[in-house]
Amino acid sequence: MPKLEQTQSSLAIPKSAEGIKGGEAHIPTKRYRDPQHLHPAANAIISVLLGILAFTCVFPFLYVIVISFTSEESIVRNGFELIPKEWSMDAYRYLWSMKEALLRSYGVTILITILGTIISVFMITFYAYAISRPQFKYRRFFTFLAFFTMLFSGGLVPTYIVVTQFLDLKNTIWALILPLAMNAFYIIIMRTFFLKSVSESILESARIDGASEWRIFFQIIFPLSLPGIATVALFSTLGYWNDWFAALLYIDDPNLVPLQALLMKIEANLEFMRQNMDVAIMQTSLFDTIPQESAKMAMVVIATLPIAVSYPFFQKYFISGLTIGGVKE
Amino acid sequence: MKKKKLGVILASVLAAGTLLSACSSKDSGTSEQSGKSGEAYEIKWYTIGTPQKDTEKVFTEVNKYTKEKINATVKMTQIDWGDWVQKSQVMINSGESFDIIFTNGTSYVQNAQKGAFMEIDDLLEKEGKELKEVINPDLLEGNKVDGKLYGIPANKEVVRQDVYTFNKRLVDKYKFDLTKVKTLQDLEPMLKTIKENESGVTPIATFKAPVRFDYVFNNEMPFAFPFEGETDKVINPFESDTAMEQFKTMHEYYKAGYLKEDAATSKDSWPMDVENWFVRMGGSQPYADLLWSRSAKYEVVSVPAEEPTIINDSVSGSIQAISATSKNPEKAMEFLALLNTDPYLRNLVDKGIEGTHYKKNDDGTIEDLPARIDGYNMPSYSLGNHFILDLYKEDPKDKWEKFQEFNASAVKAPSLGFKFNSDPVRSELASITNISKEFYPALATGSVDPEEYLPKFNKKLEEAGVDKVLKEIQKQFDEWKSSQK
Repeated sequence: MPKLEQTQSSLAIPKSAEGIKGGEAHIPTKRYRDPQHLHPAANAIISVLLGILAFTCVFPFLYVIVISFTSEESIVRNGFELIPKEWSMDAYRYLWSMKEALLRSYGVTILITILGTIISVFMITFYAYAISRPQFKYRRFFTFLAFFTMLFSGGLVPTYIVVTQFLDLKNTIWALILPLAMNAFYIIIMRTFFLKSVSESILESARIDGASEWRIFFQIIFPLSLPGIATVALFSTLGYWNDWFAALLYIDDPNLVPLQALLMKIEANLEFMRQNMDVAIMQTSLFDTIPQESAKMAMVVIATLPIAVSYPFFQKYFISGLTIGGVKE
Repeated sequence: MKKKKLGVILASVLAAGTLLSACSSKDSGTSEQSGKSGEAYEIKWYTIGTPQKDTEKVFTEVNKYTKEKINATVKMTQIDWGDWVQKSQVMINSGESFDIIFTNGTSYVQNAQKGAFMEIDDLLEKEGKELKEVINPDLLEGNKVDGKLYGIPANKEVVRQDVYTFNKRLVDKYKFDLTKVKTLQDLEPMLKTIKENESGVTPIATFKAPVRFDYVFNNEMPFAFPFEGETDKVINPFESDTAMEQFKTMHEYYKAGYLKEDAATSKDSWPMDVENWFVRMGGSQPYADLLWSRSAKYEVVSVPAEEPTIINDSVSGSIQAISATSKNPEKAMEFLALLNTDPYLRNLVDKGIEGTHYKKNDDGTIEDLPARIDGYNMPSYSLGNHFILDLYKEDPKDKWEKFQEFNASAVKAPSLGFKFNSDPVRSELASITNISKEFYPALATGSVDPEEYLPKFNKKLEEAGVDKVLKEIQKQFDEWKSSQK
């Protein structure tokens, strides 16, 4: 977000500056001010402030990258350093040595992210579209049904029972997809979006032209609501990509562990070692295989990169999706 | 039209998913009911540790053997170290059906009191007769909750003994006399020398100043029985002179720079293989120095910091409990009995397949093959009886004898076998836990002056209702004590 605002304001400056130069520059119209125009000093201050903000956002990640290239010995002796005394590729060599598990986890994550996003976008838009249309008789009831789960949730154990005992999803890929597919908050967002951005008259004319409900949905609603759908898709992509808790609960099979869950496991195992030093000391051969700080950071780098790289492609939808509700009408 | 196709694909994907999950539900349903005769019962066993690649391979062998011996097969699932606490608790709370589960310490006691585990005294008499003869009686006695046993403890060391471990290279270099080391205070001259002469070395690899009491919960919580004097009266150990004295010494060490400045909050685990420390502290067992030296790749040497003691914590470190949801507890018990008494099965589960994961030498000792580290690296301590495990080539021949001696040499803690039920004082305990978390690490690492902060700590504890909890503990302890006679 901060990055975006910065680019917008820096884009805005040259335009307005030009406007002033080319316009009635010699007539002192003090009252008139271009709303896009910023005083150079204000502009500088805002740029610096936003720059600092952007830097504080990016800095930790840069730090993580540096640490991932630090030698383990150097971390233990001197702690984390911005410019380490000893550089090393050991962490990445370690990751390379476990490439099988890593690649499999990557595959699982990508699969659940893509499949999950598709499923969840369709489930959410279907539901939201239905409760946004006044022709639907029970829409109040179903709106309330979704809304209710935002206030009260069943809790961990009932959820676990439903997933493992009623649906029998334990140790299947669906346990990672279905529990996250519906999200009441996104349904409410999409419902509002449909209400605001698709006027009833368009649908009416489509109906008069003889379009079926499916056709209306896919050929009219869908393109019209693309910014909103893209926003929800982005949110759920992030949700699936970053989810580790479902895997913690439902997955025992090491072949089905997604990337973030693998990372969490390593972190949790380190924590376990710290809290149970006695066990750790007696079972040294076991814990020697757990990667150390630098390897952990290298994993963070590897797990974050794809999202960081794909984000710019989503960004334009993301922003228009977030702002559109406020601007229109 | 393209969009329509997408919808069709989507619908079929969803349908396929439902079908898939329906299939898997049938699988898990089949192996449930089968008695002594007929089909073999599948025992579902959850235990701690990182899941291993070769588990399936090893358990095919295990199943061949158990099928023949007890007409049952075993499905073992490992849950990773860090996931264990949360995941096992959710599984237990949801009433999922399984047979055997690893547990330890307070979680064992709480789940036993809640009724999540099965009482196994009767089963142990019938199906587990041989087992009862093998296991150290202290272990069985110490793990009784309200007079009943709820799990099979792993037969290993039952003793807790903290030791000071030194970096041997530095000890030799400065010719320190370790025989003189008995208390925390005795370390002073050595720490000074190290601090002055060894720049890259932190004299103390952060440990907490030992305050020796028989703690009801853990060292942080202010409830304990003294080892000497009035041993059946519970007190707040932080009001004792010992605590003040130890914390003062630690504070002096801290001021002198023997510990890292962030000792109280740091999560540093001080890995042994980095040689940047002089003395550390931890629990020990016979020949621990050998183990540690091997993993550190330089020599270390230990000196006892206390007498070996049997405490509640040391007997409940590793327990396999039978779940109350088990469909066939008799079979589960038969399997546990076999696992703990049959050397072939025990070694198979622990070390893997002979010739694949390890090789046996002529003198009966074993050596790991690369496949074991890679594909079947199991935590011995959690799985069962240690005394029937094969010894490694580099192990001392009398390792298990030394363990038995070690067990026999110990003193029993006053509260051994006493399990406190914390329900009546739950809210007090919650606030006391928070206060302890705030003060204890700072005091025990010497980061703050105990003259000032220890009284503050005790005052806050008092306000939080420490007396009420002490009274409740005393009440339950007296009841337990009288039921023992």
